[in-house]
Parts: sequence; C-alpha cells; structure tokens
Amino acid sequence: MNKNYILPGFVVLASFGLITFTTVLLPNFIFRPTASEFAVEYTPKEARGRKIYVREGCVYCHSQFSRPQDRDFGPLPQAGDYVYETPNVLGTIRTGPDLTNEGQKHPDQWHISHLKNPRTLTPGSIMPPFGYLKDDEMNELVAYIQTLGKKRMVKYHRIYQPDELRKVLDKRKVNVDGSAAANAGRGIYQQNCATCHGTNGLGNGPNAIAIAKKPANFSRPFYKDYDDVTWFWRVSEGVPGTRMPQWGKLLTEEQRWYLVAFLKTLPRETEVYPKGYESIDPEKWVEVNKTSAAELNSVKPAEIIKTDGPAPGAGGGH
Amino acid sequence: MILSDKENSASKNFIITAVIWLVVGMSLGLTGAIEFVAPDLSSNIPQLTFSRIRPAHINAVAFGWLSMANIGIVLYIIPTLTRCKLYSEKFANFICYVWNFAIFAGVLCLLNGYSEGREYAEFPVPIDIIVVVGLISLSYNVYLTVLNRKVKKLYVSLWYMLGAFFWMPIVYFIGNRTFVRLDGLNDGIVNWFYGHNILGMWFTTLGVGIAYYMIPKLSGRPLWSHSLSMLGFWTIAFFYAPTGTHHILQSPVPEWLKALAVVFSVALVIPVITVLTNFFMTMKGNWWQVANNLPLRFVLTGALFYFVTCIQGPFQATRSVNWYIHFTQWVPGHAHVALLGTFSFFDWGAIYYIFPRVTGKQIYSVALARAHYWFTFIGFLIFFAAFTIAGLVQSAGWHLGIPVGQWVVELVPYWIYRALGGAMMWFGNILLLFNIIQTVRGVKPLDEPTVEPAMVPPGLARV
Ligand code: HEC
Ligand code: HEC
Repeated sequence: MNKNYILPGFVVLASFGLITFTTVLLPNFIFRPTASEFAVEYTPKEARGRKIYVREGCVYCHSQFSRPQDRDFGPLPQAGDYVYETPNVLGTIRTGPDLTNEGQKHPDQWHISHLKNPRTLTPGSIMPPFGYLKDDEMNELVAYIQTLGKKRMVKYHRIYQPDELRKVLDKRKVNVDGSAAANAGRGIYQQNCATCHGTNGLGNGPNAIAIAKKPANFSRPFYKDYDDVTWFWRVSEGVPGTRMPQWGKLLTEEQRWYLVAFLKTLPRETEVYPKGYESIDPEKWVEVNKTSAAELNSVKPAEIIKTDGPAPGAGGGH
Repeated sequence: MILSDKENSASKNFIITAVIWLVVGMSLGLTGAIEFVAPDLSSNIPQLTFSRIRPAHINAVAFGWLSMANIGIVLYIIPTLTRCKLYSEKFANFICYVWNFAIFAGVLCLLNGYSEGREYAEFPVPIDIIVVVGLISLSYNVYLTVLNRKVKKLYVSLWYMLGAFFWMPIVYFIGNRTFVRLDGLNDGIVNWFYGHNILGMWFTTLGVGIAYYMIPKLSGRPLWSHSLSMLGFWTIAFFYAPTGTHHILQSPVPEWLKALAVVFSVALVIPVITVLTNFFMTMKGNWWQVANNLPLRFVLTGALFYFVTCIQGPFQATRSVNWYIHFTQWVPGHAHVALLGTFSFFDWGAIYYIFPRVTGKQIYSVALARAHYWFTFIGFLIFFAAFTIAGLVQSAGWHLGIPVGQWVVELVPYWIYRALGGAMMWFGNILLLFNIIQTVRGVKPLDEPTVEPAMVPPGLARV
C-alpha cells in the first residue's frame, strides 16, 4: 500500500473511533439515571400493552416527552422516569398530542372507543382506526396508556381528587343557592366572561368567532350535572390549552363563588320546552326538541330563578 | 446467468432492482399521505394502517431504493476511477440478491407488525444480520478493488466512497445492536446516533461522492479545486458523527451531549459550503449545459436542494430554532429534501448516465426521461412547500396554546397538497421504471443518439 495513505487512513479510524466513543459509549458510562419515583415498572399486562404500542407504530404520531414550552401536556418528565422504557418511544413527531401524561385523562372505555374509531370522539381527527386489535390486546394497550405519567399527575394534583378539592367547601362563605349571590355573580360574569361565553352563557360572545377552541356553552345538559365544587374548580383553573383564563389567579375566592351561583342558574338547552311537552311520545322527543338558538335567546335566562324549585337537572330529555 | 461475472452486471442489477424498490416505496409513501386526508381508508386492515406503512415506506426507500441505487452507481464508478475490474463481480451479484431478499422480507415484516420500534432501525434481527453481513462483504469487495487499482492517486469521490463503506457497517451495527439492552434514554441516544449517521456517513458521503464524479464528467470541465474537496471530506468525517442528539434536544438527556450535537451540527456548514462552492465553481460559465444535458440537470437540481437542506440543517439544530420547529411537519420536510430532493436527484442523474454504460444500450426514451424530471421536480416543490408550511402553521397553533389534537384539523389543505405533490413524483417514477424496463428489454430507442449524448453508451455515440 502506498505510504501516503497510511496517515490519512489512520486519522479516519482514530477520529471516528473517538467520536463513537464520546457519543455512544461515554454517555452509557456516565449517564446512568436511576429509577425515579415516577418511573413505571410495568405489570405483565401493561408490558404487553407497551409491545402493542410499539408494534402498531403509535410512536410515528405521538411523542412521549413534554417540553417546557408545551402548554397542555402536564408536568415535565425527568431522566429517571424513562429507566424502564426500552425500546424508547420518545418520538420525533407530533401529529397527535404528546402522551407523556396521558394516563387517567380519560376513562378506559373512552380509549377503547377512540382507538376503534377516533372520529366518533374527535371529529376531524386523522388518527387511523385500530379496530382490528383483538379485545384483550385492546385492554392491554389501554392499560399501558393509563400508566403514562399517572404517578406524576397524582403527585402534582392534576387528577381529580374529590376529597382534597372539597375542602374549599368548608371555607365557603357564600350561599350559592341564594338569588343575592347569583345576582352578584351576574355582574361579575357580564364584566369578565360575557365577551367569550355570551351574555346568556351560550358560548356565543363576540370573541368566540376568533377563538379556535370555542368557549363552553353552559346551556348544554352536560353542565347541569356539575356540582358546586366542580364549577368552582373549573372556573378557578381555567381550561389549559384554550383561551379560558385561570380565574383563580384573577378573582377572589368569594367572587368565584358568586360566579358559581350565577352559572348554576343558567337554563339548560331543553328548558325551553315546547308547549304541552309532557304529553309527547318520548320516542319522538328527539325530533320535537330542536330549539333554535334564536328561540333560546328570546327567553330571559338570566332572570334570577328562585332555586328551591325542582333541581335544574330534573327536567326530562336525555 | 444467476451469478454472472460479466463486467458491470452487479451494477446493472443493483440499479434495476433499486428502481423497482423506488416505485414500491413511493407507493407506500403515497398511501400514507392519502391516509392523512382520508384516515378511514385503511378500513381496519392492519397492513394498510398509516403507522405500519410509515416504517415500511422509510425502509423501502432508504435501504431498498437509495442504498441500492448508490451501491449500483458506486460499483460502476469505482472500477472506472481505479481502471481496474471489480474485485469479484460474482460476489457483488450475490449480495444484490441477498440484499433484495432482505429488504423484501423486512418490508413484509414491518407491514405485519414485526418491528423493533426504533426509528430507522425497525428491521427485525435476522434482517439486520443479513444487512450487516451484506455491507461488510461489499466493503471488502470495494476495498480490494481499490487496493488493486491501476491509478495511483485517489480521486475525491473514492475518498467519500471508501469512507462510506468503512463507516456504514459500524453505524448500522451500533444502531441495531439489540443484544445490548439499554435503558430508555440511553436507547434513545444510541438510536439517534444511528438515525442521523446513516444519513451522514452513508447517504451523504456516497451521494456527494457520486456528485463529485458526475458533475465534472457530465459537464466536461475539470473539478474546480481538489484541495477544497478534500477539506470537505475531512470536515464531514470529523463533524458528522456526534450530531444525532439534536433529534431529542428537549428531552432530559445530558446537557453536554446536546451541546456537542448542536456545536457539531452548526459546524457542518463548513463541509457543505466547500462542497457546494466546488460544484458551482466547476459549473461557472457552463450553466447553459443544463439545457440539453438531462443527467447534468438532475445532478445540479440535486445540488440546489442540497443547499436548501444544508442551510436548514445547522440552523434547525440550534436550540432556538429547534424549540419552534421540532415535532412539526417541517422536520419530515427537511428529511425529504435531503433524501429525495438531493440524493435521489443525484442518483437519477447518475442512473441516466451510467445505465447506458453498464448495459451498452441507449436509454429508451428521452421524452419520458424529461417528463420524469419535470414531474418529480415540480411535484417535489409542491410536496416540500406543503411540509414546510404545514410545520410552521402547526407550531404557530401550538404556541398559541391550541391543543395539538384540535389544531390538526387546520392542516388539511397541506395534507392535500402533500399527497398531490407525492402523486406527481410517484407518476414521474413510474415513467422512470418503464423507461428502464424498455431499455433493458432492448426495445429500439425512440430518439437519435445525438439528442441526449450523455444518455447513450460510448460505443454507439460515435455512430
Ligand atoms: C396518523 C397519526 C396517528 C397515529 C398512527 C396514532 N395516533 Fe393517536 N392521535 C392522533 C391524532 C391526530 C390525535 C388527536 C385527535 C384525536 O383525539 O383523535 C390522536 C389522539 C390520541 C389520543 C387522545 C389524546 C387525548 O387525550 O386527547 C390517544 C390516547 C391516542 N391518540 C393514542 C394512540 C395510540 C395508542 C396509537 C397507536 C395504536 C395512536 N394513537 C396512533 C394521531 C395518531
Ligand atoms: C377569552 C375567552 C374566555 C373568557 C373571557 C372566559 N372564558 Fe370560560 N372558556 C373559554 C373557552 C375557550 C373554554 C373552553 C371550552 C372547552 O373546553 O370546550 C372555556 C371554558 C369554561 C368553563 C369550563 C367548562 C367545562 O367544560 O368544564 C367554565 C366553567 C368557564 N369557561 C367559565 C368562565 C367564566 C366564569 C368566565 C368569566 C369569569 C369565563 N369562563 C371567561 C373562553 C373564555
């Protein structure tokens, strides 16, 4: 061999060896995080679920590390949280949301329906349907999803913990069922919330046009199931990832209770009953019940109703 | 016949099968792109589900098309530059069969869910073993050819190619070593060392090596500066390898590793500038040639796209830009401009020039080849713009605080354009496949040899 090439050949070898050493071997020697309190040691079922996650290639749309600049993916993971994650499913693309803290965000049944056909739960989603998974595979996969970040969420109180949250009730000084409180709440509402949620709480305030995630429409039957504490926390914490502010930082606790009193008085969609609705055949109820938004606006919902009548949720409908 | 030792037969086989893989891989990619517009298209068939198609697409185009086309071209260039026959043509042909089998089995495995789950390293272990053995034997073949050479000095292309054949088996081995189980983040670090280095130490080095051969050859002008080209080679050799961690820059891996990755990624500007300066200075005063020299036009288009990816690359790796564009569609856009825009264009140009020389037949139709150019070029521009803009829109939405799952509906127009551009390129490459098949079959060419002299084998041109 020509002597001229021995030195260059050696340099190539040496430099590549050095670089491989620093970037492949060295990190494995000096970067050995120990399992943190959040690392999940998977049960056999969850481990099988994880294998399915890898097999189905969820990683090509879902990342598993939330970053400081992400707004709605919860607390950041630390190095030690990943100790049991082999093969890694960190991911490099976020076509769908990050799943670092996905565990316990939705009930199991939600995940199953979502995986079977994402579009039933999220219209416009481009997640492929995974209905071909067998039932036990599906359960394993969901069991795995439910572990993601769960410990982290518990630690940071992001999971609904009724007993903890209910403590606010002990300190409450406002009678949220009284009309005085509701009246006070109406003032606060019109000043702070009506621009988005609309004067009547239908989610149609002037700003709503410009917001991608529309403000909540409080006349949806869904909201009639909210109890005082839920209302209070929803108002206080805002809705991460939307324009809904964290009112807990802006209003006093007393003001927020006034708001709750007012929000509770807002009518439910189906409260504008057609005349003689009680004699209607319940089977046909669905068709008859289409009340236009204009009709809803024409009634005066913000009138302070005396609340010792029937509970708002007691009306018929579905 | 099966294991022919005819001169250049390995090169020919590699190129033909590569083009078939190109069409297969692009069909997979196009299906995936259409599924973003019509997600229920997969209708619950596991093999058609996007998340299974995607790894199959990547592996088919990266290892089926691009690697095999590169190898085919290199197997022609190395004997030409060393004026010495390939050490063992039979062996190279054998590897071609084995490699095809490996990719075929691998793609089927991925579609059926047998995946290792690490990006770019999805092939299951048996396939990995075949690929590594194939790579090592190829290196052996190539190195022995160069050792037997009749020309004393090594042209810069040879440096790049020898480098690639030295690095790639090692990099592939490291990336697919599943017998060493690493914990989560360490696994990620090694995964991305591999993921980025098959680009840097294999596709880039082979691709640039090919362009260094093709541009002076096709334009008939000497290379502008040999020392500059060597500077480019050495800086690539030094700067490329540690950059992988920039793929996981915001994850909790050690800061020093991230810093290393960022610094070296930015330093990659040096080899890129030297390479491009050299290309463009070689072409200085000769740009008119692209008008009637199709292979040259392909290669120079590739060089322009090389400029785009390589300006994106170093900036993307800096923390502040990465902060904004990471996780978005911008990144696959960047990956495509490198592998499709740059190296595939190099290879197409090289194939149109080399294929007549290895088969001794004139390319069947110049018109089809020109249509191929325009379909892929315009298709690629649409495709690339869709990716890039989609990425910016995506990130803008997220940083406004709109959840990923909601904002995804805003991207529909870009998915549509992406599929459209993809369909154009797919069609262009069907033309290429047809052209190659007709050439191999020996159908009488449609054009006079004088129309595109570069696409005619040397013997015929003088007639
Ligand atoms: C084509 C890309 C794609 C693939 C592949 C994919 N997803 Fe999704 N995923 C999405 C998108 C987009 C959303 C957001 C819209 C929605 O909720 O459907 C989503 C949402 C989700 C959510 C709901 C997150 C939330 O809290 O709203 C879960 C859970 C989920 N995916 C799990 C999976 C699992 C498990 C797999 C693999 C079996 C998978 N995804 C594969 C794109 C994908
Ligand atoms: C900048 C516009 C904006 C303003 C101002 C605003 N909201 Fe909201 N609000 C939203 C949006 C957007 C949502 C998210 C709806 C969703 O999650 O679907 C929301 C959701 C809510 C919810 C949660 C509903 C649920 O699903 O649990 C409550 C409660 C609420 N708002 C109350 C208020 C109150 C009380 C005020 C005034 C103090 C207020 N909002 C002011 C935009 C606004």
